[in-house]
Amino acid sequence: MSTRPDRDTSRRPRDAAIRISRRTLAIGATVAGAIVALALVLAMASFIGANTPRSVATVSEMKVQQTAAERDVERAFEQATDQVIKVRALNLAISAEQADQIAAKALSDLKALRHSAFVSLGQIQGLAAAEAEPYASSVETRFTAAPVAKAPTPSPVLLAPRYYTIVSRMSELATQLAEQATTRLTASPTSTPVPSLRPSPTPSSRPSPSPSPSR
Amino acid sequence: MIRTVLSFVLVPILIGTFLGGAVDPQSLPFVGSERISAVFLLDGQAYFGSLEDSPLSGTIVLRDVYYLNDASKVTTDYPLGLVKRGNELHQPVDVMYVRRDKVVAIERVTLASPIGQAIASERALNRAAAK
Repeated sequence: MSTRPDRDTSRRPRDAAIRISRRTLAIGATVAGAIVALALVLAMASFIGANTPRSVATVSEMKVQQTAAERDVERAFEQATDQVIKVRALNLAISAEQADQIAAKALSDLKALRHSAFVSLGQIQGLAAAEAEPYASSVETRFTAAPVAKAPTPSPVLLAPRYYTIVSRMSELATQLAEQATTRLTASPTSTPVPSLRPSPTPSSRPSPSPSPSR
Repeated sequence: MIRTVLSFVLVPILIGTFLGGAVDPQSLPFVGSERISAVFLLDGQAYFGSLEDSPLSGTIVLRDVYYLNDASKVTTDYPLGLVKRGNELHQPVDVMYVRRDKVVAIERVTLASPIGQAIASERALNRAAAK
């Protein structure tokens, strides 16, 4: 019985090769080409998307928006203040001291509310907290000297959403403060006092409901 | 000779005619200014944003979406307020798919219009906030 010598597995056969048919090669090339084409399409789409021109307001256009937002905040303040002053001027059932106290508190709250709204306006324009305070004071001084109610009607401006959020919150809170003061001023002397509202027109993080139909 | 005329004159004319009727040159990338579209839906709601309208799809896509809100009780000049979509209860991401059969009209927003100006101002405020 002859013994077979062990095969030398460490040596590779001289003619070893992988045979791939032309058809397989063609399919592979087609798939690779499709992947490259898809990658190019996606890259091109993202490149175009990133380079799509986007309009950004200029400094002068932002000034128009800022002025309109300041005017709208001041308008809310003046309307609420007028309401409190007019109600205070009525012949009320409560004592004059009580009425003065309620009206003074409401006017003080409204001023604090307006100041807070102007500070918020300054902050969303990129001012630091230390800069926003003097900005708010200067706007208040300007409007005290020239109230919006006496100014000529300017051309209307549709506010940017960030400005609109502050103005709508200011309007809402100013109306609430004025209504609350009116209720307290016109109440009978024996009725229980209404709890006071804490003014803050800073946009709340409260989410809004789904969009309502536009007009 | 006839083949050359066909190849170099008639075919480009036909392609140009087709593209001229089907493609808005202003909608080509890198050309012109930004395109903000107004999409009016059957329920009366209008949305404003960057429109992607593929004719093969049953939906249109809006990005950077805004809509109008009733502001009759707010002391603004207009009785309307522009709101950026994203702060709703479900806090949607900045893309909106709209079924094509719910759309009444699609119009191009002029950038100098009040809505175009308000959107541009919002972006300027976003830039200021990012600094």
